[in-house]
Amino acid sequence: MKIGKIIAVSEVGVEILTDGAEVRYRDMLYTELNGKKYRFEVQAVEGSIVNAISFERCEGLRRGLEIYKEERGLSIEYSDQMLGKVFNPYGDTIDGTVVEDPHVRSVYSEPLTMSQIDIDGGILWTGIKVLDFFAPMQKGFKMGLLGGAGVGKTVLIKELINNVYKGMRSNSVFIGVGERSREGKELYDEMLEADLLDKMGMVFGQMGENSVSRAHAAQAGLTLAEYLRDEKHQDVLLFIDNIYRFIQATSEISAMMNKMPIENGYPATIESDVSEIEERINSTGDGSITSFQAIYIPADDITDEAVQTILEHLDGQVVLSRKVAEKGLYPAIDVFQTTSSMVDAEKIGQRHYELVEETIRYLNRYNELEEIIAVLGIEELSYEDRMIFFRSRKLRNYFTQPMFVAENFTGVPGEYVKIEDVLDDVEAILTGKCDEMPEDAFYMVGSMKGKR
Amino acid sequence: MEQYVETIIRDKMDKINSRGNVYEVGRVISVTDYILEVSGLIQVGFNEKVLIGGHSTGYVSMIRRNSILVSVLKSEKSIFIGDEVVATGEPFRASFSPSSISHVVDIFGTDRMCDETFDDCMELEVENETIPIMDRRAVCRPLETGIAGIDLIYPIGKGQRQLIIGDKKTGKTQIGLDAIVNQKGKDVICIYVPVGKIKKNVKAVYQELLRRGAMDYTIILAAFNDDLPPALFLTPYVAASVAEYYMMQGKDVLMVIDDLKRHANVHREISLLSGKVPGRDAYPPDIFYVHSRLLERGCQHKCGGSITILPIVETKGGDITGYISTNIISITDGQLVLSKKNFDKGEKPAIHYGLSVSRLGGAVQTPEVKKLGASVRRELLSYLDTREVYELANVDEMAPEMKKKLFRGADIIRGLKQSKYAGRTPEQIIRTFTGIMKGQEEV
Repeated sequence: MKIGKIIAVSEVGVEILTDGAEVRYRDMLYTELNGKKYRFEVQAVEGSIVNAISFERCEGLRRGLEIYKEERGLSIEYSDQMLGKVFNPYGDTIDGTVVEDPHVRSVYSEPLTMSQIDIDGGILWTGIKVLDFFAPMQKGFKMGLLGGAGVGKTVLIKELINNVYKGMRSNSVFIGVGERSREGKELYDEMLEADLLDKMGMVFGQMGENSVSRAHAAQAGLTLAEYLRDEKHQDVLLFIDNIYRFIQATSEISAMMNKMPIENGYPATIESDVSEIEERINSTGDGSITSFQAIYIPADDITDEAVQTILEHLDGQVVLSRKVAEKGLYPAIDVFQTTSSMVDAEKIGQRHYELVEETIRYLNRYNELEEIIAVLGIEELSYEDRMIFFRSRKLRNYFTQPMFVAENFTGVPGEYVKIEDVLDDVEAILTGKCDEMPEDAFYMVGSMKGKR
Repeated sequence: MEQYVETIIRDKMDKINSRGNVYEVGRVISVTDYILEVSGLIQVGFNEKVLIGGHSTGYVSMIRRNSILVSVLKSEKSIFIGDEVVATGEPFRASFSPSSISHVVDIFGTDRMCDETFDDCMELEVENETIPIMDRRAVCRPLETGIAGIDLIYPIGKGQRQLIIGDKKTGKTQIGLDAIVNQKGKDVICIYVPVGKIKKNVKAVYQELLRRGAMDYTIILAAFNDDLPPALFLTPYVAASVAEYYMMQGKDVLMVIDDLKRHANVHREISLLSGKVPGRDAYPPDIFYVHSRLLERGCQHKCGGSITILPIVETKGGDITGYISTNIISITDGQLVLSKKNFDKGEKPAIHYGLSVSRLGGAVQTPEVKKLGASVRRELLSYLDTREVYELANVDEMAPEMKKKLFRGADIIRGLKQSKYAGRTPEQIIRTFTGIMKGQEEV
């Protein structure tokens, strides 16, 4: 249906003078030029003037081109076959595959009501000792994943996919927003190699794409996750790398639309933009969505408006540290900064809670002792401190773990460790039952059950 | 009176209806430095090339309801209000001649050493579509720079984007040039892209490369300080298009962009002059995308060719946590941080080994180099870590292991020193550092 003509063009969008046709926010429009289709999405309507953002580059667009309206807004085609496929932010596959007999779903969903949201998800054990112990998760949790590249983020993500799939038979969705295309391709290749690709759907709107693509990748990916939750009744694992890039893209768009910005150029609507995304990531009676969201910190400024706005929505954080990785302790998690709102005696039980507290106390003292020992030597320490020192080293080693997905490289078969075993082992180390064992016996092993 | 106004309006309407005051040529109605506002040209397309007054070239950078904005790329004479602007009906494209190799050229296909245009120019899109994710391959072949601190410790692979960042006068450009010179005989095409550099310096670079025979496989695609900012802004994109042109023929390309901080400032200047909303540090909010879409063109393509990009960023006071720096760090696959302190100590190349990173690391090294590199890096980092603490301590009172560690570390630092244009082969590097690592075990 023809609705009007272009009257102005900027880098990210066009202004359209309509002939009085009805146009709504987020309607899809298109025009054709030299046989190429240009798609737009309505952002604002002002009388008979419509502001729309373009999915493609605007090169060559000119005043007077006729604009048509699509039957429906931006939507994504999917079916059971979405797993193992790679989509762009507009719902088209980009790996050369075709989705057969698809259902169609708008990428924008109605917000969940308070009654639909289920917050009493059971505890979700990942089988990864250090995560289960320090930052236990619940189904439907949102975890921030902080840490630079090259510290084992991908391996951790893969292990989670592997373990959670095994434990709950649930699939996962990976959304690449504004990150490196090279990493996207490498993740795809590694998934393929580790035989995990058919358990995962992927959506990419990477940093080489325009702001509109990057802003829409999150919506498209969430639609796939919601499909698994609502229609397949699954517990879904969702990875977003990187959620900050979503806000970055929205602020690019909003500035180009000449909207008044707040500090650092973020859009004034930043809170509602983040809420719109985050409120979709929830669990219902049908299934749950548990998410890991990587957060980029701009200019190393943790007080950044966007970072703070995202953090408000999260239930916990996992921090990967380069210092830990350099010591060869994998997964390289910084236990002092990794936490979740589940670390509460009422939720995980008195015993687990106390063990976490005691372990943190030991490791903290260990860091202090390391400096003293470097100068004075270990003989100068009191008996108690010496015990803390040796036991902490065992604890540190104990929290490493062979991974299933790294078996090809390490040659050590992966292990899934039950939380009961972790608690027993940690208690044994702390109370001195393992004092006779060498610390190497704790390195890169699963549970110590039967070995103590 | 009423009738008078009505007559005027009717006359105007008649003219508009008969398109009497609408031209396929437009007129300049305002000039702000190199940004023109032009009336008329109703049918002009976004990014279309236009000619102004018969002597200047520009492109359409915004189409407003009643006027358009034109960014002037090249101007021979002054532009006046009322000058004619003619649309050409095609987007602005760069001119590039395949015989540019061993010349200093610009985006208009001009040889800047003699100011003549090549005869065999072809038109090149300023920006091609982004290379699709599925057409990329893992980066795994080493690009040898000949610098031990890079090849051994923070290696660069073909298709990698590795940032070189540091203060003024710390040898940033030198690392890029060393890398170019070391590609001799390795079948790599090099493109050096000075953005907003002074002519004197570019000429010096040209002569250095010429003297070492590196111009045989190098193009210098330059935008000088006194070229118009829109041309400066487009130059790195055009360089990437040139690189893509060679990559698609299955060749390996190394591109050094000097530097992106200046490029960011040029973009800020243009945006503010065009009246766009400023963001953090007054940079326009799309500043990340400006660099990400440029650097994302570096990749290992499935056709076998690759583009390796070494962008350079200048910092102030050694602070790499600035807005532009962190943006680019988050795009590239790693960074080489150069420190003024090391430079002054004479530890050249002045790589700050603690802050530098290669996100691909061992994946782009041969197994032999990888194994050695990992142990040297571990040793070096722990030495640098302890050096600061023990620098003042009396060596004789230290535990023997500590002493050994300190001596070994100092040996490594000495082994990493090398002067400019003294590229080492992987065999030399392996021999030197195997020696150092062995030597200390005997101490």
